[in-house]
Amino acid sequence: MGVKILTLKEYKSVFNTLYPSLCLFSNKYIENLDVSKDIVQEVFIKVWEDRIEFQDDSAIKSYLYTSVKNRSLDYLKSKRYKETFSIGDTDIGQIETDPFFFREVVISETSVIIEKAVNTLPAKCAQIIKLSIKGLSNTEISEELGISLNTIKTQKKIAYKRLKPLLKDCFFIIAFVFEIRN
Amino acid sequence: MSIFNKIIELSNQIASSILKHEKPKELLDSDLFTDSDKKYILEHLTDEKLIKRAALLKQIDKKEAWSEIESKIEVPVRKLSIWKYSAAAAIVIMASTIYFSKDQWSHKEQIKVVATKSVINPGTDKAILVLASGEEVALGKGSSYNATGVHSNGTEIIYGNTNSNKESTVYNYLTIPRGGQFFIKLADGTKVWLNSDSKLKFPVNFVDGAPRQVELVYGEAYFDVSPSTEHKGSHFNVLTSNQNIEVLGTEFNVRAYQDTPIIYTTLVEGKVNLSGSFQTTILKPGQQSVLDNHNIRVASVDVFNEVSWKEGIFSFQEMPLKEIMKVLERWYDIKIIFKNKAIENNTFNGILDKNQKIEEILNIISNTNKIPYEINQKTVIFK
Repeated sequence: MGVKILTLKEYKSVFNTLYPSLCLFSNKYIENLDVSKDIVQEVFIKVWEDRIEFQDDSAIKSYLYTSVKNRSLDYLKSKRYKETFSIGDTDIGQIETDPFFFREVVISETSVIIEKAVNTLPAKCAQIIKLSIKGLSNTEISEELGISLNTIKTQKKIAYKRLKPLLKDCFFIIAFVFEIRN
Repeated sequence: MSIFNKIIELSNQIASSILKHEKPKELLDSDLFTDSDKKYILEHLTDEKLIKRAALLKQIDKKEAWSEIESKIEVPVRKLSIWKYSAAAAIVIMASTIYFSKDQWSHKEQIKVVATKSVINPGTDKAILVLASGEEVALGKGSSYNATGVHSNGTEIIYGNTNSNKESTVYNYLTIPRGGQFFIKLADGTKVWLNSDSKLKFPVNFVDGAPRQVELVYGEAYFDVSPSTEHKGSHFNVLTSNQNIEVLGTEFNVRAYQDTPIIYTTLVEGKVNLSGSFQTTILKPGQQSVLDNHNIRVASVDVFNEVSWKEGIFSFQEMPLKEIMKVLERWYDIKIIFKNKAIENNTFNGILDKNQKIEEILNIISNTNKIPYEINQKTVIFK
């Protein structure tokens, strides 16, 4: 129990799991992907160099999202400061709020789970689920892929069965799953 | 629960709804967001947006970014290779470096820490083969075994179909210790995955046309049976202490450990017929029978949870902590004590990699459920 420092293996695993989505998350604030990458990298280096302690996966995520947000806002402020005083503070005021932050975290986290969950499915299942997310009905999927309605129903059942343990109460374990299946 | 935990949990629920193509009612009911924010979130999780996101993700090179980080953080290159090779066997307690200040954290110190071996390790491929003569052969990584019609590379053992004297049947035994697992291919082509703490009795060859019979003396095994049609209709039988499984060519899992009188049989594919001192029962794919003394019950189960062990994964669904710990006891060859009896029946969901350190698993359970534990040699105590 209690807080602990990440081992290098854990650190790398966290990096692999969260680096891409954190870059996109930062990009929401600053709209510059290259700078976003630098910001996320700085945050990760700080975690290692300062040997920051975490209690659980959720604490890691909370720390990373918050740090990336703060650094992104700092960047925006410094840039605006340097470039011009003419832009009002209204824009930045809105994106500095907690609701904006939480909203973007939800979008980022949800997207990651969907992408990864679909990627763990067997190819045929994944194709069907992707079309289903797109809003296609079973009949439409059947026409699109040229397979029977029954096959689609069975494949969907298989998919939900496999996804169920991933999606129920165990977000903290998801990282491991993706590590071993990818 | 912190607001951030709530956010993460909500994300998980939304993802689940979207995957099932259902209304994300947790989001709609949530008081974390205003209606306009909820609308905004859903608009940004449409298929179109996810595809756009995927395109952006392609511009992010994880590997390149990692090697940049690797070059910038203070991890000596040599340490990395040590990590790589010792990761499986040695336990690397970074936490103990807490006591070293940054300046003292020298290369030398690091090696010292890395070299600390854990008493508890994940299981490996190992087994003991007992020949008809009573001779015992230890099988494991790095030790191969060859004899007429049989060979082992240390992680599996393969019997060839030799023609021998049909008058008598010669039996061998394969015993898997705690902390072990093994794969065997029988002379008829049937594949068997054996879990920790299991014992199989099998003939070294089979006679086409005559019943094929093996015995799971105790433990857990997954059978992929070579079809009867390839053996002049010979049925395949798996005996356990008080149950006979008759098979026509199929895949199934049997769990019959000694510490419980219950036998679990799970059918993945095909058809099996169960008999013994209970009502004869036929299983369909996806069904599991639970035999408790003379009573047999059949229910539909998630087959993935039952057979994932042979894929190197533990999958637990709504499983009491007590039961999960039984599985871990066998795989890590440890003893688990519950001082706090109240938590024994708490149920958990989760999928775990069988190759991870026991501490990683225990930390997940401990951190998320506020259950403290302690390791003393090969004993884990939940306080």
